[in-house]
Amino acid sequence: MTDFALDKPGKSRRPDLLAYATLSLISAFCAVPFFWVLLASLDGNAQLFLSWPREWTLNNYVRVFAEEDGARWVFNSLFVVGSATLLVMVLAGLGGYALSRTRAWWKQPFLYAILLIRVLPPTALVVPLYKILLTLNNIEGNLVRIFVGGDTARAIMRWIGFIDGYLGLILVLATMQLPLALWIMKTFFDGLPRDYEEAAVMDGATMLQRIRRVLIPLALPGLAAAGLFAFISAWGDFLLPLILLSSPELQTLPLGLFRAFLRVNTIDYGFLAALAFIYLMPAVIAFGFARRFLVQTFSGGVKG
Amino acid sequence: MVRSTYEKRVARQLLLILSPSLLLLLAFVIYPAVYSVYLSFTNEALTGAAALNPRFVGLRNYSRLLHDAKFWNSLLVTFFFVVGSAIIGQFVLGLISAILLRRDLAFKQLFSSIILLPNAAPEVVAGFMWISMLAGGENATLSRIVMFFGMTPTDWLQTFPLTMIIVVNTWRGIATAMILLTAGLSTIPSEVYEAARMDGANPSQIFRRITLPLMMPTILLYMLISAVSTIAVFGLVYALTRGGPGGATEVISIYIYNQSFTAFQLGYGAAVAVVALAISLVLGIAYVRAMKVQV
Amino acid sequence: MINLRNVRKFYGALEVIKGVDITVEDGEFAVFVGPSGCGKSTLLRMIAGLEGIDDGDLILNGKRINDVPPDKRGIAMVFQSYALYPHMTVAENIGFSLSLKKVPVAEINRQVGDVAEILQLTDYLDRRPAALSGGQRQRVAIGRAIIKKPSLILFDEPLSNLDSALRVQMRAELQRLHRELKATVVYVTHDQVEAMTMADRIVVLNKGTVAQAGHPMDLYHSPDNEFVATFIGSPKMNILPVTLSRPEPEKIRLENADGLSISLADGDAGVATGEAKLGIRPEHLKVSPGGQGDFSAEVVIVERLGVETYLAVGSPKDPIVVRAEGDLSIRPGDRVSLTVDLSACHLFDSSGRVIRRPQTL
Repeated sequence: MTDFALDKPGKSRRPDLLAYATLSLISAFCAVPFFWVLLASLDGNAQLFLSWPREWTLNNYVRVFAEEDGARWVFNSLFVVGSATLLVMVLAGLGGYALSRTRAWWKQPFLYAILLIRVLPPTALVVPLYKILLTLNNIEGNLVRIFVGGDTARAIMRWIGFIDGYLGLILVLATMQLPLALWIMKTFFDGLPRDYEEAAVMDGATMLQRIRRVLIPLALPGLAAAGLFAFISAWGDFLLPLILLSSPELQTLPLGLFRAFLRVNTIDYGFLAALAFIYLMPAVIAFGFARRFLVQTFSGGVKG
Repeated sequence: MVRSTYEKRVARQLLLILSPSLLLLLAFVIYPAVYSVYLSFTNEALTGAAALNPRFVGLRNYSRLLHDAKFWNSLLVTFFFVVGSAIIGQFVLGLISAILLRRDLAFKQLFSSIILLPNAAPEVVAGFMWISMLAGGENATLSRIVMFFGMTPTDWLQTFPLTMIIVVNTWRGIATAMILLTAGLSTIPSEVYEAARMDGANPSQIFRRITLPLMMPTILLYMLISAVSTIAVFGLVYALTRGGPGGATEVISIYIYNQSFTAFQLGYGAAVAVVALAISLVLGIAYVRAMKVQV
Repeated sequence: MINLRNVRKFYGALEVIKGVDITVEDGEFAVFVGPSGCGKSTLLRMIAGLEGIDDGDLILNGKRINDVPPDKRGIAMVFQSYALYPHMTVAENIGFSLSLKKVPVAEINRQVGDVAEILQLTDYLDRRPAALSGGQRQRVAIGRAIIKKPSLILFDEPLSNLDSALRVQMRAELQRLHRELKATVVYVTHDQVEAMTMADRIVVLNKGTVAQAGHPMDLYHSPDNEFVATFIGSPKMNILPVTLSRPEPEKIRLENADGLSISLADGDAGVATGEAKLGIRPEHLKVSPGGQGDFSAEVVIVERLGVETYLAVGSPKDPIVVRAEGDLSIRPGDRVSLTVDLSACHLFDSSGRVIRRPQTL
């Protein structure tokens, strides 16, 4: 531990008031905005500005689920983001391994490309992305309609469609998280000695067997880290759902939140706050788990 | 480079398991990006004469850019935004937090958890929280705090829009800075600090001549990552100010948005996006150069 | 001269240094040696000022320096990992302490040059630590220490990071430097061979206390307790549990279950009868022909080194080690008869304290 209180020999532990004060200030700065969400969500008569609730109530939360489609929004968000996260973990696990172990010519360019990708402002990609997805969706829709009639087709497209369909959103969300996840897994596998795999090769395992039985157990910490980061990032994405979804059955939490804010008549702040809090929770929890991995992951990146 | 059939087979297998990721990235990221570049050379739009008949117009969009006052304004705003929040705000607060949290203090877990919280909040929620903090004149939370200290409040987002978005983005990004800088700090062995103590260095000298130089690679990496991701920030600023008042907070991502989705000038919007991409690339190259000098 | 008087240190409620008294004279090469956890590194860091002293006095050249900051004690330290500043050149590393005091650049360069010459680092002054070998890095660390012209140089296990061939070379190097610089050195190691070969004075530490301090050969031939007896010397001294009886006033007899029965002259009537421990080094046991020794035992392991042979005899879990000159044609399973060199017997009581040192007959 580096202790900068250096004028006494040995490690003096005098209470460092300045450190506490500074950290408290910074923490206060970070925490204050959250108060409103918490308090307003429990306030029967919530306003936009911060006020101590005069009537404490859980009614706002109830209304989220009872009067509005809260449950559906939560389900959609969890389903979509959860699936995307799983997909990312699988693809990044495999891909990261490949990137780490390969000596092929395309390795370096691919790595640079991944870095560069993250540099693009998302608003720039939105229109072309929409065009591609629209094209794919139309092809797919036509194919489906060959086999089934109108209503069933619509129901099926809801799941596998690219526009206004779960599949499309899941795929695109997953794709957006791939660069970082691939980088994390590659760095992770770089740090894993090849001894384990070589022992497995000597034991006669095929690549798939090696991956399944030796590498995955070893890769779990890296996968957990990559998965958590992907989840947090995808959970917060509202641009993509905004663009890709229109039917009410598919709406996710950020959209519900956004729409609640755009109400024509008076905005129901209590409801808004409760919804915001519900939306906030999974991200915070995931972040809590991810903390452990944060320093590890980035130390590896800093060195490499 | 003669490679055995075994090695070739292994290389093929590795390529195989990488291919799904490759496919997705190609389809949903690379292709749209390339298409965007193509778009920037057309006059594609959703309304107006060109809507029905988009044509290839070469560099006309770009020359239009150069004479567009709003474009330059947007660049300037983005510059201040990036420097203020990423380069200065997040970095300083993140560095202070990283250093202080390495000491033996009580409540360390609590402090670091709270400081990480803003980063965990999804963009939309972060936007709302700060609207509550800043909008509404006297009722805004910030106004109440300021009045507590005896100063006069104002409509923050109207009077100090750029400052406010810098503050909000700083708030959001302290966590990233702190994490990266903590990782960097931990690469310095503690015996080096002890040797410096024995050599007679005081805390300020240790910081300037040992900590900072040894942390340079991490600091540079942080600067690059944060600058680039700050250029891409959209939702947070849009929720707070929509780019106003009068373009005072129209960062480049919002300018692109306005051009593409409000003015429906897709070709022109794409051109601006390409410029933003080019700037990010320049930063990336600058980083690589700086790193070479380091080592 | 450096003096530790009744020095103690606590980690919370745990006392890790328990009232230590040590004196090191000017120009001496003192080695603190002991097993892991004995407190040798802690003591070193207390002398350096990196750890606080909870009780007792640390006196350097007549001055009590308990509360003096590390950089003002006139003490320099060479760390186990060398702790060179990775981003500075060799010259900058060595000159760092001077540059902190704002000494003019020309003067710094001159002093650095002098030090580099002594350590044969002149050709490497512009290199960074990453481009140096282990031995070179150590010399830079030493250079950084001696440029401060300290009254005392501390070494914290400096050779443990080197491979064995390099270690032997550096041992000679360090001794040469010590003579040339006429410096006072306190050197910490867990390796008793290093201690024995390099020290003017050895301090053996065990669990936070000084087991014994003195000249290496004194500790070898006349250990104060069982711990020092078995710690110093490789292979270890054999310790045999014996029963001590006094058949006549001037004689004591030692016997054990394996048939050992020897008599020693002993005029000290104070030696109590009963349980005791006989300490005898491997080289003081001789293989005797056919049944004429003091006891016999079965050979478990034979190690033939050409110039000498080591036998492990008796119980496999707790064998007695015998060193014989030359090459013996003995095989595991053979039974040998052993003679004890009576002039080399150490006797310890059951708590490990020496009660009889080797005497000439």
